[in-house]
Order: sequence, then C-alpha cells, then structure tokens
Amino acid sequence: MAKIKSHWSDARRLFVSPVLCLAVGALCRAQTPAPVDLTGASLEDLMNIQVTSVSMKEQSLSRTASSVYVITQDDIRHSGATMVPDLLRMVPGVEVARINENTWAISIRGLNNRFSGQVLVLIDGRSVYSPAFTGVYWDQQTMPLENIERIEVIRGAGGTIWGANAMNGVINIITKSANDTHGGLASVTAGSQDRAQGLLQYGGTAGTGGSYRVYGRYATNGDSPSLPGQPAVDDGHESQMGFRSDWNLSNHDKLTVEGDVLGASEAQTITTLFASQLPNSFTLNNRVLVANGNLLARWSHTFSNGSEATVQVYFDRVRRFDQGLNVQNTGDFDFHYHFQAGSRNDIVTGLGYRLTGQNFQDGYAITVGNGHRTDSLYSGFIQDEIRLSESASLTIGSKFEHNSYSGFEYEPSIQFAWSPTSAHTVWASASRAIQQPSWVYADIQWDAGSANVPGAGTAIVQISGNPELPASRVFDYELGYRTRLSEQISLDATVFYTDYNGIQTIEPETPFFTVNPAPPHLVLPYVVADFGNAKNYGVEASAHWDIAKWWRISPGFSYLQSKLGLDPGSNDSAFLASSGDSPKRQAQLRSNIKLPHHVEWDTSVYYVGSLAYGPVPAYTRLDSRFGWHIGRFVDVSITGQNLLSPRHAEFLNGVQVIPMETARAVVARIAWHF
Amino acid sequence: MNTRMIKRLFEKRLLFGVLLAATLSAQTIDEYQLKAVFLFNFAKFVEWPAPAPGDVHDPFTICVAGDNPFGSSLDEVVRGKTVGSRPISIRFISDPQKALQCEILFVSASEGKRERSLLAALRGSSILTVGDTDDFTANGGIVQFKVVDARVRIAIDVEAAARAHLRISPKLLILADRARN
Repeated sequence: MAKIKSHWSDARRLFVSPVLCLAVGALCRAQTPAPVDLTGASLEDLMNIQVTSVSMKEQSLSRTASSVYVITQDDIRHSGATMVPDLLRMVPGVEVARINENTWAISIRGLNNRFSGQVLVLIDGRSVYSPAFTGVYWDQQTMPLENIERIEVIRGAGGTIWGANAMNGVINIITKSANDTHGGLASVTAGSQDRAQGLLQYGGTAGTGGSYRVYGRYATNGDSPSLPGQPAVDDGHESQMGFRSDWNLSNHDKLTVEGDVLGASEAQTITTLFASQLPNSFTLNNRVLVANGNLLARWSHTFSNGSEATVQVYFDRVRRFDQGLNVQNTGDFDFHYHFQAGSRNDIVTGLGYRLTGQNFQDGYAITVGNGHRTDSLYSGFIQDEIRLSESASLTIGSKFEHNSYSGFEYEPSIQFAWSPTSAHTVWASASRAIQQPSWVYADIQWDAGSANVPGAGTAIVQISGNPELPASRVFDYELGYRTRLSEQISLDATVFYTDYNGIQTIEPETPFFTVNPAPPHLVLPYVVADFGNAKNYGVEASAHWDIAKWWRISPGFSYLQSKLGLDPGSNDSAFLASSGDSPKRQAQLRSNIKLPHHVEWDTSVYYVGSLAYGPVPAYTRLDSRFGWHIGRFVDVSITGQNLLSPRHAEFLNGVQVIPMETARAVVARIAWHF
Repeated sequence: MNTRMIKRLFEKRLLFGVLLAATLSAQTIDEYQLKAVFLFNFAKFVEWPAPAPGDVHDPFTICVAGDNPFGSSLDEVVRGKTVGSRPISIRFISDPQKALQCEILFVSASEGKRERSLLAALRGSSILTVGDTDDFTANGGIVQFKVVDARVRIAIDVEAAARAHLRISPKLLILADRARN
C-alpha cells in the first residue's frame, strides 16, 4: 500500500517538475527539445527515474578470451518465449530443434541429436546434464523465465573450468538474487499451443541482510498439429514450486540457499520392442512421468586481502519414467578459491566431489547392467590469468578429474587476449576437453529394433554397452574479435576448428540364434565402440546496433562445416546419420522497438538451414510480440510464433520418439506486480 | 488500485495530470546518463578531508577506470559546473597510480577481476570509489550502483567511507542501502 501511495506522489511531483519532464518524457521532449539536464533534480527524484540498461553485458564481456553470448532478462522478455529452448535460438552457433512438445535436440557447433552429450548445462551452478542419458532432458529444465538474470552461452570447449561433457560448450542459467525480486508477481499466460501457464510469486526481506522469494507455477500444453493419418499426442502438464534466499551474513560473507520441486506428465508416441513380446515392434502412446527435486547452498567469504573462497553443496534427485524408470540421486560438493598472486597473477583454483547413485528398472526393451550403479567423480582445477601488460593477458589452466568409467582425465586450455584500445579485443584459445562415458554406454542391453532377414525371419537388433569405452576427446582452437565501433554498434565474431576423436560408434558383431527369450530368433548384435571422429570448423558472428534510442537490432549468423569420419576397422554404417545432424547455415535478426505509450514491438526472424536426416528442409521462423507496460504494476503482451507457415518440421531423427511438427501459435500474457 | 484515492484526485481535477505524469514516469533514460548525474551529485553530498591550501583551486577530479560506459554524458553533466569554487575535470585512467589524483573514481565493469586489486591499492586514500559490479562493496569499494526494477539504487559501505575519511551527508545515507548490516 505504501508503495502505491509513494508512486502516486512521485508521479505528481514529476508532473510539476519541468526539469524532470525534460528528462523523462517523449511528450515533453516534443514540446521543448532541450538537452537532458538532471543536475538540479533531487536525489529522491533521481532514484525514481526508470533507466534502460543496454551496455552492461558488452562491458563485462568485452575482454573475455572465449566465445560468450549472454541472453539478458530484457532479451527474454522481448522474445515472448515461454520455455528455455526457444530462448537459445537467439544465440548464433546454437542449434535448437524441436522433436515434439517435450523433446528437443539442442547442441552447439554440431553433432546435434536427441542425446547431444557435448553441451553441459548448469542452473545456478547445479549441473542438469544427465549422466545416465548423456544429455539434457530439456523438458525438465523449467522455471519462471521472469526470474532468470541471464543465460551465458559459452561456445567451444569449457572443460578447464567446468569439467567433463563441456566439449562443445556450456549453457549457464543464472537466476536473479532474491534481493532483486522483492514484492509479488502474478502472471497468467494463455495460448494456442502453450495452453496455459500460471505463476504466483512473492519475495521480501528476511531478518537483517536477507531476502527470499517463493514461487509456484503450473503449465499445460496441447498436442502438436497432427499429420495425415497420424494423430499427434504430445500434450503435457507440469507443476513446480521453489524458493531462493540470499543473505549478507556480514560484509564479507554471502549465503545463497535455493531449491525447486517439479512434477510433470508428458505424452509421447514411441516405437519400441518389448522384451516380453519379441519380435514385434509396437507404436504406442505413453506418458513420461517426472518427479524431481533439488536443494543448493552456496557460501562465499571475502578475505581482508581481497581473495575469495566459495563453498557450494547441492543435492539433486531426478525420478523419470520414460520406457523404464530411472532414479538418479546426486550429491555434489565444490570449493573455489580466487586470489591474486603478485600484481600480475589472478588465480582461480578449486576442488570438487560428486557422488551419483542411479537405478534403472522395468525398461520396455532396455536393461542397464544390474539396474544399480554408484559413481564417484573427483575433480580439481587451477587457472591463472597472467597480466602481460596493460592491454594483454594470458590465461592457462587445467582441470584434473577421476571418474569411475575412464579413470584419470585432464582438460587443459590456454587463452590469450589483447585489447589494444578499450574498443577492440582480439583473442585466441586452444583447449582439450572430454565427454565422460556413461552408464548407458558402458552397460546397456537394448533391443533397439527388428529387421527382416531373408531365410531367418524377423531378427532383433541388440545393442550392448562397452565397459572399457574410453572418453571422447576434443581439441578446440578458436580465434575471436570483439569491438565497439561506436556507442551504438558492437560486433563479436569467432572462427573455430574442432578436432574430435573417440566419438561413440556402434559396431556389428557376429549374428547368432537364441531361444531365450522366446520365440527363437536371430540376434544381430552390436557393441558400443569409440571409432568415430569429426573435424568441424565454422564461424559465428553477432552484432547489436542501437539505431535510435527506441530501436535496437541484433543480427547474427553462423556457419558450420562438419566432416565426420570413421577410424580404420570400424563398420558402423549408421554413424554418419546417427552421430548428429546440424544445419550448415543459420541466421537471425531481432528487432526491439520502443513505441510511445510504453508499448514494445519485438520481432525475431530465424533462418535454419536444411538437415540431411529426413531430409528436413530449411525453414524460416518469424516471431512477433507486442508488449504494453500499463503503469508500473501491470504488463500485458501478445506474441505470434512461427508466423510464416502453419507448421514445419525441425528434426526427424527422434530415436524411437515419433517427431511432431511445430505449429504456428499465439500466446498472450498478463502479469501483475504487487 | 484505490478507487477512493482516484475519486479524490478527480475531485481536485488532478486525475488528468496524474495520468499524464504516470505515463511520463515510466519513460526511460539511459542507465549511464543517470549514473553520470549521480556521480556529480556525490560531489555535493560527500565531504572530503580539507585539501592542502595549495590545492584549493585545483580542479575537482572525477575519474573513470577502464572502459568508459558514460559516452559523452559525464562530460555533459559536469560542463560549466563547480564544486565550491573548484571546476570539475573528468579523467580516464588506466594506471592505478594515477587514481590518487581523483576525488571520485568510477571503476568500470570492464576492469573485471582487476577491480579488487585496484581497490586494494587505493586503501588508505580519500577517494570515493564508485562501481556497479555485484561485488563492488565486498571488494572494498565504497558506493555501489544497483539497478533494481529499472531504477538506480545506491548501496554505501559506511565503514569503508569512514576509513577513507569521507563524510557522507545524511541526505544521501537516508536514501542509500547500507552495504553493511
């Protein structure tokens, strides 16, 4: 109530203050085109003026010696997107392909498939990469998008800091501090595809120096458009609750505690065998059922000499039924220490331990080992940023890990950055990273499909894991340039060359007859090996151009050339098709226009090149959003998605999951801040 | 919204004015344009230890370390202004040693990890350090800008200010968040 009152009195003061009128109003500006002069305004008035922040991300990133793209909360709002995967489309070099409403193929710089295992995803420092699935269940990575502070997408190998599975990059989702989300937020979203979403959130102060927020959300989506003769069944709904609290325990100690629980039910159509009903394969609708929870605490202490220690502990539980029940419990401990040595060395070092317990049971046609496995991961890293001169720095470091599949691993990198002036940075880096073998690759026994063999009837294709499988390795070389041509224009470009070895292949073995399980049948056995290699190179470029105070455009472009190969001795005839499928060319253009009366008009165009598997033709996606801030407390928006065509396919290699097309859709949202 | 309040305002024929003003108040200016105005204001609301008699007519110096996020707005804000009788000059510095000549030092976010060593090097001097990274006061800075709900907020580490022998006006303190509990 007090807030509303002060708002009104501020408003009155603003109206009677000609000085502020000059500063804040397009209407006023039209009457008196004098330059902005706020120097006579009171401190109270200054604190009530709304600002636009555009340059922060370029500021802090301008000297980074890696290929980083940051999606800000403004970008998120302007996109009109309702889920994280759609946000990632704006990053050049990231491939986002929807298989159905709940299943995605997302990668960076190639090798994209439903099980893309080369990209590590973290939410507030908690890894959501599934070591069982060797990839990320994107349907489980839901959250109120309003609470995201930023998403940092680091393209290229990130093993030195982040460890295994960051071969192609890292996606870091960072939520807002509870200090920045005081007050209430209620929002309702309704749409043709995303049927309904509701969010209720409240935040405030807790004790001295503490803040909290709690939220609850619900979302439900309808089916994708049906194809002739094939009704689409991929509706779903999810409920989620969570909290975050941030405490300044003292001027030197900060504590964050946060957690979420998620329950979801999602339909899908799959083709599978059943171990009890060989050799027939069935196409059926089933539901993926998810019950997840996590709790994280992070404490950082700044010492009087300026060095900083951070301890982070989290527990994460994933319970997912999807052609079998997988339960995964993870406990993780991390320690980071950041200090200066002399005037030239800025050193970060850390230790980590992760314990993962997994269960898999009652698979339709899959068994994994004896159904239980517990793994320990030990890790340590050190990285030194050496200041060579005012304008140049050299960063060297390495991660050292021990995992229970491939044993000891190391992931070093060297980076050089040179900023001859504050407006230009040239950087180069070389790094090595790995993808850790997984439980599935080691111990799976999967009746993957059936095939007719003349004279032998229906044979079963059986894929077996390989416990001796080493880690996949990558050497990654990058060269980048970042510049601010003027206050209005910034540019960022990277070229890369990536050399992969030891990518998983599936090698045929000698066929045999078996009577167990009945009926007697021929088995075409395959075993997992590491005979794949790839040489990828490409370019990514992006720019921001503030054409006027009210108009920003952000073009982006990426090119990828992927050369897949097999080591001598490999007989995996499906490798080229199964290892991944990425468009050669992608381009995007986003336009954000501020219209009078607090109306925003945002338009994004995405071009995505064709894919070999299917084939999937190239497509262009157009999204457009109108948003209106009604006073300080209410926001409404309406977004049209995929406006150019009634529907299109994005990815046809669903591996058992029948792919669905993506529909033209409209979604409307109203949010009330209180 | 409170209908009684609206009614009362309408009776005073203020409704139109309030609506227009509410529309205006949500218009925005660039974050750093506003932060530049704040830097100038700090000169009015902070007292530095008395300068040596010879320095009384030296310019009052506002410095920016690292990339300049202000564009030309800092120059525009201080043009023709004085602090007492001292003219104001703006300097862009890259060497921490040169910071000792500044009264106010804005540390740009571009300094990144160098921020902490820069602030440590200035310990014991009477420079009002201002920054906008999340850890600015934790790293030893005195005044930290925060953008909350699209408005610029200020957090002040009162103890760090006292150590630097800076006296901060209660008018400013009352509006600022305390960085220290």
